[in-house]
Amino acid sequence: MAKELLSLDNGTTCSSWNYSGIRLATGSTDGSLSVFDFRDPASSSNNLRFTFKTKVHEGNIAKIVWVPPEYGDVVGCVSTDGSVSLLEEIVEDSQPLQWKIRKTFGSNESKVLDVQFGISFTRLKMVAAYSDGHVRVFELLDPLELTNWQLQAEFQNVVDSVSSFGKALCLSASISLNPQKCGSEEFSFLLSFNSDTPELNSSKVWEFDQAHRRWLPVAELALPEDKGDRVYAVAWAPNIGRLYEVIAVATQKGLAIWHLGLNPNHNGRLPVDKIALLSGHEGMVWQMEWDMSGMTLATTGDDGMVRLWQSNLNGVWHQQAAFEPTS
Amino acid sequence: MSPNSTGNGALVPFSGDTNDSLSVYTLHHGLSRPISRVAISWSRGNSLRVSLFAEPSGSPDAGDGAKVVEVKLGGGDPEIDDADWRRIAYGSVAPFALLQSRRSSISALSKSPSSYHSDWWEHVLQYSKDITSLFTEPKLALNPIIEDPNEIVQNKEEPTCLKAAWELMEIFYVDKQSQAWQPERLVDWLADYDCLFTSTQETIHGKLVDFQNDLVNIQVIEDDPRYWEVMSSALSVGWLDIVVKMLRLHGSYKLDQLSYRELENGLVEAVAVLISKMPRLRHKSAVGNLGDCFKSKPDFIKAWEKWRSQITKLDCSPFWIQCDNKQTREGLRNLLQVLLGNTESLCTASCHWIELYVSHFLYIRPFTTGIENMYTLAQKCIQLKPPTGTHRLTGLMIGILAENTEVVLAEISREFGPWMVAHAVELLTAGSEQAEILLHDERYNLGGISMMELHRLAYAQVLSSHALTWQIAPIYLTSCMKQGMGLLENLLYRQSVQHNNLLLKNIEICRLYGLDHISSNIMKVAGVYHWKHGHKGAGVYWLQQSQDTNCLNRIAQQLFDSVGKSISDESFKQWEGVIELLGSESKPAGGLEFLHKYRDFKKSLQMVYSGKSADAARQAAGSLVLLMKNPSTPQRFWLTLLYDSLKLLNWKDSPLLSVSETHLLLNKLQELSLARQRPQFTEPSLPHQALSSIRLALATNLGRAILDE
Repeated sequence: MAKELLSLDNGTTCSSWNYSGIRLATGSTDGSLSVFDFRDPASSSNNLRFTFKTKVHEGNIAKIVWVPPEYGDVVGCVSTDGSVSLLEEIVEDSQPLQWKIRKTFGSNESKVLDVQFGISFTRLKMVAAYSDGHVRVFELLDPLELTNWQLQAEFQNVVDSVSSFGKALCLSASISLNPQKCGSEEFSFLLSFNSDTPELNSSKVWEFDQAHRRWLPVAELALPEDKGDRVYAVAWAPNIGRLYEVIAVATQKGLAIWHLGLNPNHNGRLPVDKIALLSGHEGMVWQMEWDMSGMTLATTGDDGMVRLWQSNLNGVWHQQAAFEPTS
Repeated sequence: MSPNSTGNGALVPFSGDTNDSLSVYTLHHGLSRPISRVAISWSRGNSLRVSLFAEPSGSPDAGDGAKVVEVKLGGGDPEIDDADWRRIAYGSVAPFALLQSRRSSISALSKSPSSYHSDWWEHVLQYSKDITSLFTEPKLALNPIIEDPNEIVQNKEEPTCLKAAWELMEIFYVDKQSQAWQPERLVDWLADYDCLFTSTQETIHGKLVDFQNDLVNIQVIEDDPRYWEVMSSALSVGWLDIVVKMLRLHGSYKLDQLSYRELENGLVEAVAVLISKMPRLRHKSAVGNLGDCFKSKPDFIKAWEKWRSQITKLDCSPFWIQCDNKQTREGLRNLLQVLLGNTESLCTASCHWIELYVSHFLYIRPFTTGIENMYTLAQKCIQLKPPTGTHRLTGLMIGILAENTEVVLAEISREFGPWMVAHAVELLTAGSEQAEILLHDERYNLGGISMMELHRLAYAQVLSSHALTWQIAPIYLTSCMKQGMGLLENLLYRQSVQHNNLLLKNIEICRLYGLDHISSNIMKVAGVYHWKHGHKGAGVYWLQQSQDTNCLNRIAQQLFDSVGKSISDESFKQWEGVIELLGSESKPAGGLEFLHKYRDFKKSLQMVYSGKSADAARQAAGSLVLLMKNPSTPQRFWLTLLYDSLKLLNWKDSPLLSVSETHLLLNKLQELSLARQRPQFTEPSLPHQALSSIRLALATNLGRAILDE
């Protein structure tokens, strides 16, 4: 049936494709990173070939995130112990091409749960969500030197910035950047938690306020009665020309599709509209991914299925197809 | 739609249209342990990659731990294989682009894009013909030299449902010229494609083929009831040539029997003549087809009535009683009943409702015009002959006859996939204003685009997912007013920059459609890729192309560092090429102008060391002063430069620097000692006595210069 591209070793826990879909990075329980490449990038009809393996960490790698290609071939590896290591493929001082650890972010008090990388004003930024409910935004100072980062901001995922929740315990976090291209302007991102602190959970859209040099929540994607719901996954759809943004948010109540207006109202908030609440995975949603047109959403979850969602011609969202893995 | 259908490299027929029932497909992975986690990632277009991770196992021989599979969504027609699809995809680009350019030039002239020229349909017809020509691969015609007298059905090219569907739409939506002969065109259409319906139920074509296969085993053909049955069937759908040919196989034509079966033969021949003289209301006869064609209705009516009276006359003739061959007598009279339009005979003769439908046009209602009447008639035929299974073409036909554009779109989208919808939209809109409104109307629910645009985007997605077809996606995307460019940008952004050919192709596409910001970004990605992968020259080249001053400045900084670190000629040579490249631009990035000058200085200094020529020394001293004067020369190089130039400062023959020049250098030294106080000052790695020896040399030079002046 489906075309098999690759078999992976026992102990492989996660995988991630790069921007062009010709490189695959995988992480393993023994803390190693493996990289696979298509033999000929011009054609995807051939199989993947193993190109590099390196030990990143002592612990299990939970997630791999690619850095935008404007910064080279770089991945961030999030390990289950809560640290993030940046590795870069590089040729240095007449050594052969290899992946090298450039920077490791870690904190003794809290663990990194999720990271995403984006470009704003031609600067690379890393948004990291921590298990204590904090968000940190780091900035790369030198575009060719991945060791040199600076903390730009730190805040909690709450609408009301006065309150602080020190003893939060977050199980997972989900970050999704507004998928705009080229990074010529300030980016915004979406963040949510799966935690014991209701105020932290709901998905919020964060935007950088240039005038006051701080991050502001400009929208909250939850109805008043759902604000404390634990969020499993979020995904911001690419916008190829709609007059609104489309965002998917998965909670224990189901999969919600939101429209987010482009123009803020008088109090600086972006108008939001919940378009649909869909059910399907019956439990945790692991991952949600939009296709490059932003019209089809693919999801995976506890039931082990891959599900595809689309809106019909009348704007009604529905499940279009599902895939059931079988041996 | 079968969930496991494969073909066109796509596993799932997938469309943007509504689909009430959820299709569940299986993903075979072959892992022995249960799946603990699934990861997904979209590649370009409709290609979804799924990683399936098995539960971790402690034992070393547990087999594979995970599988990565690729699923391509948004298929097409399983009837047509991948290579053929690509041929059609590439072939349809030119007709599509031509039609778009015609539309834009017409709307530019008339200033109202929606109201087309009155002869717009002619352009669409041309487009439709061009597309049709793609459906059949040109094959060498193998005409047998000796015609087989027993060959009733000719094996022409293999017809496809795709072609049949396309032609059906052409008949109803585009070809205004033959609108008056629509029923006759339908007769021709069925003659070409009746065999396709064999897949779901019995057809006349199928019966004919079966009969032909048995023909060699039949001794006395007219005694076989199937002979007469097959003939009446073929006659009912107007395949006159076949019927006449079959009649001539009748035993009474045999020379040895002609004498005693004269009357019988006369009757057979009379029917054959009547059949071959059947009046037809049509433009011209299909090649080699029998029947008399009439273009105008009055002429046709006259001929029709005369022909009918001849049939009636023959039917009532006393010769039938004299004919002693019962099979022949009854068979021929049944044929006459078909010709006379006896509903019962037609119903028995035909197998599929479409065949019955066509027979109505031929023998009962030859003057049927107007789509409404045609639709009513179709409904009646479906009632008379309920279909035993649904066929992909019947749904389309009913949609067309019911004038329901949405149904037509849904049918072709489900059965034939995105290529068909994207291209057939042109036919649909040429046909009716209502369809045009439906398809061109911009809808909020679709994100502000029209259905036409949606279908083009969907098709472009399919094209994008394959390495051999993504290059033609831009043609369709740029025909989309609202969101095509956005998707094109995403598509281009997701192309790999590793291979130069691909990179150049991307940049060319960007240039073609004015996407400068994308091409600049692509070049930046390429620049960083090459720089980090050790191709320094290519890296700098692409970064310059993308005018990324940020990165170029950083590279310049790295060059400074490496130059500053060690001044040996070896390391300098290593960088010289890059400096050359960076300096070749008219506006050198950042402080690279310095490196350029520094290179010149180093060269003349080298000559001084090797040749001791006074001219070279003077030149080097000139370069030194220029460098020291230039504000772009970083401060941390000053001392190094001066230390390198000790030989010049201590030149034996005569002082190379004038008083003012020496003063300038001394001032710089002074500035440098002040700068030392600042925290970010970095000490160049020079011998301890460097500063004092420079001071001494400068002082000596100053003294000698004053004396000289």
